[in-house]
Amino acid sequence: MLGAVFVIGLIAMLGVVYAATARDLTARSDRILHAAAQRLLQVPADQLPDRIRYELRRDRAGFNYLSLIAADGTPVVGNIRLLRPLPPGLPVDVEGGSRGPLRLVALHTREGETLLVGRDISLLRDLRRTILETLIVSGLLTLLCVTTAAIWFSRAPLRRVRALQRASREIAAGDFSVRMPIAGRHDELDQFATTVNATVEEVGRVVAQVKGATDAIAHDLRTPLTRVRATLNALHHRPHDAVEVTAGIRQATADLDLVLERFAALLRISELEAGRRRAGFRTIDLGILVAQVAELYEPLAEDRGITLSVATRPWAVDGDDKLLFEALSNLLDNGIKFGRPGGRVAIALVEDAQGRAIEVRDDGPGIATGERDAVLRRFHRGQDMQDIPGSGLGLSLVVAILHLHGFRLSLSDAAPGLCVRISLPPASA
Amino acid sequence: MAAILVIEDDDATAAAIMAELDRHGHDASRAADGDSGLDLATREAFDAITLDRMLPGLDGLTLVARLRERHVTIPVLMLSALSDVDERIAGLRAGGDDYLTKPFDFAEMAMRVEVLLRRREQAEAVVLRGGGIECDLVRRTVKVDGEPVRLLHMEFRLLEFLMRNRGEVMTRRIIFERVWGYYFDPGANLISVHIARLRKKIDRPGRPSPILTVKGEGYLFEG
Repeated sequence: MLGAVFVIGLIAMLGVVYAATARDLTARSDRILHAAAQRLLQVPADQLPDRIRYELRRDRAGFNYLSLIAADGTPVVGNIRLLRPLPPGLPVDVEGGSRGPLRLVALHTREGETLLVGRDISLLRDLRRTILETLIVSGLLTLLCVTTAAIWFSRAPLRRVRALQRASREIAAGDFSVRMPIAGRHDELDQFATTVNATVEEVGRVVAQVKGATDAIAHDLRTPLTRVRATLNALHHRPHDAVEVTAGIRQATADLDLVLERFAALLRISELEAGRRRAGFRTIDLGILVAQVAELYEPLAEDRGITLSVATRPWAVDGDDKLLFEALSNLLDNGIKFGRPGGRVAIALVEDAQGRAIEVRDDGPGIATGERDAVLRRFHRGQDMQDIPGSGLGLSLVVAILHLHGFRLSLSDAAPGLCVRISLPPASA
Repeated sequence: MAAILVIEDDDATAAAIMAELDRHGHDASRAADGDSGLDLATREAFDAITLDRMLPGLDGLTLVARLRERHVTIPVLMLSALSDVDERIAGLRAGGDDYLTKPFDFAEMAMRVEVLLRRREQAEAVVLRGGGIECDLVRRTVKVDGEPVRLLHMEFRLLEFLMRNRGEVMTRRIIFERVWGYYFDPGANLISVHIARLRKKIDRPGRPSPILTVKGEGYLFEG
């Protein structure tokens, strides 16, 4: 497109140069013709034929043409004849047979004769052709140079565009580990690639979660559903044993309740991850929220002989208080559930070198380094926790709530115990 | 006995709801779509309505909004397959009094209807009495056998809720929703320990606790 505009522009520019040059050359030639004609018109009428003969004799090169034609059209003297009358005073080009092209002007004398003054314009024509050829050749050369330069200079961006296209094809094929190459020039392509990379990262995260969730659902919901099926099958074959029927129905109901509970939790997580819950966001005081959560769980801690300590301060953040309350409840519940009986659990708002955060610490067995990522996955239950009630979705729900708020959850060793840290982004802290 | 209107398009669900309400001694009538539901609710005197959120014709949200426009104040329990918290808020904003997500436990549904009926009856109550306990809702004071007892704010609300629904089993979930105002499952033990704390303050030696534990279901205030 840009190339076409350039070619059209070049042709237009060269055309204007040629037209202006040709017009100027013709105008100069016409001025000479008019000057010669005016000079001859100053000559007395009776001397004019001799003067014309004299001028013709003097012109050895044969460039000039002169003729005097009587009022009745009879040629008086000169070296040209007119086949048709010419408009007086207006120079015209005449293709003069054997003589070559002429520029001719006709003027009337006072006696009514017609004076024809002409010049051979072969040279002028040659000059115009030479100019035209020069312009065409220089135009073509310019075009060639510019095209070469354009190809040369666009090779690098083209290589980058091709690399971007390659990356986008791989991403479209489902490989979310691929990233768009960034040249580090901070230009439009780099900005575009950065934006696409952020999108791909988010999509990859969601797709991985969906896949993980699908696998987990297939595995974890299948277990109670298979049990329900087995129970119903057993009841079908022994319909008369009332005690077994009652026990079977109770078992099936409990198993279905577990399935429903997990479905409900999964639906909540997907709602949160779809980011539709930001409607409930407003400015809230984290300090008050943490104190309320601690107040709710203090009797539970006391029941397990655990000392619950709280350290709060007023911190305004943008968020959904109901959801954050749920997330903090879950973490504190875990701390009390998995902490050491008779031990300590602490919830605190902390501010240190890494920024502002909410920390929940216990002095229980903690989580082995290798298992810390796994506990954040859906349905994961710790190795020694199989007899403690729960759907295994709690932390996934917490992560989804925190992700919605732009908060980040990390697990570390509280030596002894577990430290769950919710890091607040600097903007909202 | 209370007259309850069940607005539900699914025959099996409607039959199960009506059977459960019948078991609780209520007289249940049914409307199978929104328009006939609105018509019945405005024409006849009901004590409560269970209303499906998605109905053929007039949907549940519009129906409850129309009822409130016509100044019909019958308590409405909305039943919905939509679990989103925003949907719950939309249901309550439109004029619903409670919101239960499908699939639900029918006993819990009936319990929520009872809560709505009680709330209506006791809207004007100033002092709740039972089991030797006197709960003054205006002064926010509690007396057990005439002796003043100091309760914390949430303990008072818990006692008030159980006393208002005296004789009905309240599940941990509904207690958490109504007393603390949060709509998530707080886990098995949390409500138990709060109940245990309350009992320590209001129980008297030689007399059974007015708050009974119904295993696997919830708690019940008797007295």
